[in-house]
Amino acid sequence: METRPKHKWGMIVDLDRCTGCEACVVACHAENNIATVGEEEAAKGRAKHWMRVERYYEGEFPDVKVKFVPVFCQQCDAAPCEPVCPTYASYHTEEGLNGQVYNRCIGTRYCANACPYTVRFFNFFNPIWEKPFHLQLNPDVSVREVGVMEKCTFCVQRIKAAEIQAQAEKRDLKDGEFQTACAQACPAKALVFGDLNDPESEVSRLTASNRGTKLLEDLGTLPSVTYLQRDSWHDGKKS
Amino acid sequence: MERRDFLKISAVTGATAALDGCGKPDVQLIRFIPEEELTPGVAVWKPSICTMCPAGCGLMVRVMEGDAEVVRNGTLGLMKMGLAKKLEGNPHHPVNRGKLCPRGQAGIQVTYHPDRIKNPLKRAGPRGSGGFQEIGWEEALEELTAKLTQLRSSGQESGLAFMTKPLRGQRRELIERLLRAFGAPPPVVFEPFDEAVLRHANLLSFGRPQLPTFDLARSNYVISFGADFLGAWNSPVAQNLAYGEMRQGRPGQRGKFVMVEPRMSQTGANADEWIPTRPGTEGVLALGLAHVIINEKLRPPDAAGHAGSLIDGWSKGLIEYTPAVVEKQTGVPAATITRIARELAEHEPAVAIVGGAPLAQTNGLASALAVNALNALLGSVAKAGGIIFSPPSTPGKDVTTVVREPRAGFESLHHTLARQKSGEASAFQVLLLYECNPLFATPPGWSVKEALQRIPFIASFGSFVDETSALADLILPDHSPLESWLDDEAESGTPHGVNSLAAPAMRPLHNTRPMPDVLLDVASRLGGSVAAALPFKTFEEMLRGAFEHFLKGKGGKPVMDPDTFWKEVQEQGGLWSDTEISFHGLGGIDHAPVQPGEPGFDGAPEEFPFHFHPFPSASFYDGSTAHLPWLQEMPDPLSTAMWSSWVEINPKTAERLGIQQGDQVEVASQHGKLQAPALISPGIAPDVVAMPAGQGHENFTRYASGRGANPISILAPMIVPETGSLAWAATRVRITRLGEGKLVLFAGGLREQIHEHKHR
Amino acid sequence: MEKSPNQITDDLLRPLLQTSPRFFMAVALLGALVVAAFGAFFYQAYSGIGVSGLRWPVFWGFYITNFVFWIGISHAGTLISAILRLANATWRRPVTRCAEVITVFALSIGALFPVIHLGRPWLAFWLIPYPSERTIWPNFRSPLVWDFFAINTYLIGSVAFLTLPIIPDWATVRDKADGWRKRIYTILALGWRGTPKQWHRLESAMHIMAIAIIPVAVSVHSIVSWDFAMANVPMWHSTIFAPYFVAGAIFSGIAGLIIAMAFLRKFLHLEDYLRPIHFENLGKLLLMMSLLWFYFVFSERLTTWYGNEPSEMAVFWSTQSGAYAPLFWTMVFCNFLLPFPILAIKKLRTITGTVIASLGVVVGMWLERFLIIVPSLARKYLPYSWGSYSPTWVEITITVGTFAGMALLYLLFSKAVPIISIWEFKLGQHKKAEAAPVVEAKPVVAEQG
Repeated sequence: METRPKHKWGMIVDLDRCTGCEACVVACHAENNIATVGEEEAAKGRAKHWMRVERYYEGEFPDVKVKFVPVFCQQCDAAPCEPVCPTYASYHTEEGLNGQVYNRCIGTRYCANACPYTVRFFNFFNPIWEKPFHLQLNPDVSVREVGVMEKCTFCVQRIKAAEIQAQAEKRDLKDGEFQTACAQACPAKALVFGDLNDPESEVSRLTASNRGTKLLEDLGTLPSVTYLQRDSWHDGKKS
Repeated sequence: MERRDFLKISAVTGATAALDGCGKPDVQLIRFIPEEELTPGVAVWKPSICTMCPAGCGLMVRVMEGDAEVVRNGTLGLMKMGLAKKLEGNPHHPVNRGKLCPRGQAGIQVTYHPDRIKNPLKRAGPRGSGGFQEIGWEEALEELTAKLTQLRSSGQESGLAFMTKPLRGQRRELIERLLRAFGAPPPVVFEPFDEAVLRHANLLSFGRPQLPTFDLARSNYVISFGADFLGAWNSPVAQNLAYGEMRQGRPGQRGKFVMVEPRMSQTGANADEWIPTRPGTEGVLALGLAHVIINEKLRPPDAAGHAGSLIDGWSKGLIEYTPAVVEKQTGVPAATITRIARELAEHEPAVAIVGGAPLAQTNGLASALAVNALNALLGSVAKAGGIIFSPPSTPGKDVTTVVREPRAGFESLHHTLARQKSGEASAFQVLLLYECNPLFATPPGWSVKEALQRIPFIASFGSFVDETSALADLILPDHSPLESWLDDEAESGTPHGVNSLAAPAMRPLHNTRPMPDVLLDVASRLGGSVAAALPFKTFEEMLRGAFEHFLKGKGGKPVMDPDTFWKEVQEQGGLWSDTEISFHGLGGIDHAPVQPGEPGFDGAPEEFPFHFHPFPSASFYDGSTAHLPWLQEMPDPLSTAMWSSWVEINPKTAERLGIQQGDQVEVASQHGKLQAPALISPGIAPDVVAMPAGQGHENFTRYASGRGANPISILAPMIVPETGSLAWAATRVRITRLGEGKLVLFAGGLREQIHEHKHR
Repeated sequence: MEKSPNQITDDLLRPLLQTSPRFFMAVALLGALVVAAFGAFFYQAYSGIGVSGLRWPVFWGFYITNFVFWIGISHAGTLISAILRLANATWRRPVTRCAEVITVFALSIGALFPVIHLGRPWLAFWLIPYPSERTIWPNFRSPLVWDFFAINTYLIGSVAFLTLPIIPDWATVRDKADGWRKRIYTILALGWRGTPKQWHRLESAMHIMAIAIIPVAVSVHSIVSWDFAMANVPMWHSTIFAPYFVAGAIFSGIAGLIIAMAFLRKFLHLEDYLRPIHFENLGKLLLMMSLLWFYFVFSERLTTWYGNEPSEMAVFWSTQSGAYAPLFWTMVFCNFLLPFPILAIKKLRTITGTVIASLGVVVGMWLERFLIIVPSLARKYLPYSWGSYSPTWVEITITVGTFAGMALLYLLFSKAVPIISIWEFKLGQHKKAEAAPVVEAKPVVAEQG
């Protein structure tokens, strides 16, 4: 019996390509039925951005440098969010994703505290889509009600759709056949999504890059996302 | 009512009657028979064109079946119909290659916006009061036709004006033809962040009045003078794509990117080297770089050719622009100037980009010409890795010979107003407004509101009530872009000639009509020469006619069956050449040599110590997308602000003025004042304060109205003399702390970090 | 001057048999606050937890602070009473029941908070391992599930520990009362007749309970600490947390007990029973715990500071000198700088002195829980996501309501049950009389009017 799952989904964030444009952020809202919360709630820190582009300033004027770091669920192999959930709403899927079963969530918010990346977002109120914005909702993604935790799923609806399609056509999935909404949108191709079990995939190739690091690697969470560190200029050559 | 409609309605009312008593009013709605066949749960992807900015990216629209409340023949009912669910880039489109920016992603919210105008509206109450009443299309069209007929019968044809955002393709063709046949002046074009200066400079330097395309992917050195090319300038998706390739797309090779600007933009945040300059001296810096290159004999001065000849003192090696002199003027250290100049010359191909604030100075044209000359000197014009100009490909015209002139036949708003003031042009009697909001985006000194108030009749095609269309007497709401036939010719962003085309991706939700069809209808009602000039029943027919010109082979014979061709163009999302088309031997236009000189600023430095630097926001561009909640809630890339305006201030300046992060400050110029919370940012020069444009709408849907402040509202009416464009970076201001304010940031960290560093 | 057994019975049963208007006023006031808290909770459940001040990234705030605080207070009782019982500290006799009652009520109130704070409180029963059609059990790896079991075990144990020695007293009430009271107390007395066999069984049951309850109590607060220590959050993920929390719990528990006893003494006129010696002895215990608490805090802070781990230092500095510094230094004042001199100087270790010290400790320990929870969440690893937290009226109303609820329950209990164990008190007097009559404290029994 084959016990190893067929796919292991992973992502690359190339910080040398990322320009901080935020296309991924809006693409994620559009794909995943993430409701906006409005100014008052946003001021209280309740905006939901499964994907965010963190911005860090270094130095003082005029020697200022900026670092953009897109941060989203790292789909850790040793995910701190999973064991703490008392109801198994947060669990590990066979393909190594950190699943979140919205219906099973009772809202202890423990997972969000345990997550060192702070990528979990809570529905403090029922989401609102003022009519007819509701007509845009993606029928492949559930709408989350009040009291439920949510987070990046690696666009699991796209993964499942592609897997089912490939299965129906009795073939293997091709690398790049589908992507997460953020990677699909990314104008600078800083985000690359794919199967880490496929040694030929672009994501596997880039994961092996010497610029590759994991976010907060020393916490031992074994993330599925690899960050390629920002390069510098060496007279036209790569470092 | 047609028989078919009668059958539709009666068949379904029978079924819903049985459901009555379920209590919910919406299930009692009439259920229409679907107008199209879709499999439930199965997505269909339809090509479309992004209209959120002038870049003209290709879209793929994910359409799935859903239940929508729609109006058909004046009746509200429920219909199963294809609904757009998600926008993605068209992977084959030469401009954006499947990619899309945040504004493009949010474009879908235009269609479903709750505040869209759903029916034709007629003004009720005094003008500007905001009172409108819904009327039928027939009445609306009759009224507009009557006004136009009246103009014509009284011999006042020149009193008709059409004010629009810059248009391309067949919409532009239609409007121009209509106006010409009617005897009206050409359309008045209005664009808040006007690119007229750069187009004019490119015409003078290279003979192309067009925004340039940058082949960054193959470039080894990029220097940008103020152009936010990764943010909201020119063709951002194409530029991001190429930039990513420049950085990490070539084995063993990585280009350097240097940014020159007084306030760090999102683009500047990515630079390998960020160089702040004094506002308005960017052209001087470009000439300083050219001086070093020429002086150190890295390039001969005549390498710049015609573009060099437009700069005063070029042939003599720009002796007035030694690094020491340039340092004094720009504030950039002489050593840096020398080093960058050498790097530029040594890392071919290198490209210089100019755009944004440097061109919005009184010396903007000279700055643009200086950067053009630098590019020419570096040998980067019309070369791989340098700047190129997208080939024109207007249907019906020979692809290779026509020089595209996007502004030809258009007149800028500022010139129009000036000519009216001087009595040179006749006053407008009837104004048609399309997709532009000059009331929001012009400085008070232009008195646009007063000018519009004087016009006896204004009709708008807007989908939303905004500051300008609130003055309209009649609103004829357009379909949303996803509901419309669209075509476009990308001005820049690709070396392929592109003619995008899109059929409607979905049926209309509301009782709206597409603007081109309304114009065709009005033309046929007017009859005579106007009807003869536009002999089309629908815009679709006009588009098809235009595209069929491409079918003609060498001998003028169609190369394939027109129906198949038309279908294939729609399926692909347009037509484009497979190969890159490059231009050699670009000409230029003779012009007296210029020098950047001293930029002019409004306001005395003693009274108004700060340069005011408005910038197009990453979310709202020029303000035309401020009504979309996704963009309101999108954290700004640098400030991380959501739903708000802010004033960026250097930490030292803030400390001196006792201003803390989030404090409410007043920004005052000679022409007005505004209030906004302060954002302390290390990426801004101490004598500059910056503010994003786009917020501060008085009247623009529930999401944007009364939110934030509009920096344009305090700008001085300074212009770039050569083009009449607004010099929006030429105002000086003073700032005062008012008290505590409210700044909505997504990143909680910044404030505490600063606070705690101080404590340690 | 020793009181006669009959007088003791009368004194201690008086609150059960007579009710003053003051009692009803107090019940009305406290009840109103409790009702307000319930109203706030239902409002929150109806509208969404967004009506509280919780936010990203501070997902736990007042509610979990209250949870830990009340579970801590609960350690007053059973643990202290069990230790004193086992140590055979004779002065304990008037104190044990007051303490055990605190445990039961504080634990019940504390256990409400994990439910109050849920996003979907109506699904709280999913924590219970019951056979469901989905065949899903709770996740036994989650410290919250450990909590569920630990708290329930402790609650059941504490109720038994409290109730067993009440039985003889209920029998006494049965014998003294008439009418409806008699009927009720007859049932509660469970047929107690005071036979030697019954006494023997009660004694051995109490002995077993006293031994068993101590590890349970220690485990409860250790597990509560592991709610934090198990999560890899800066300054949460610490090995010191379990003993630190247990010590803190006993510390706050004793303070709570001293305050409760002072109130009982004043309002139920128990001056002859709850004497200064009790306050003095508990004050000494409190002093020791204050020193122990300070030792733990110092040890935690020192190792963090010396380790200089950046993510922990962000939290460290935010409490030492940043946004949370005012609260931190208030806590240090309340928990150490204020109680230490009061309790260390014998002259100040009076009833008033110990009560002031205890009030300080209760405030300080509440702040300690808050400062453990909130600053760490507000300063997690990635500075971009740092945040802040302040409560809304909903959390404040609920918090105030639980303090009122505690007082109300205590008040009602003292109406239903002799708050000082009559038989144990008598037994103590009896034993004292048997032994050489040693004056154990200065006879400062107030003259009664």
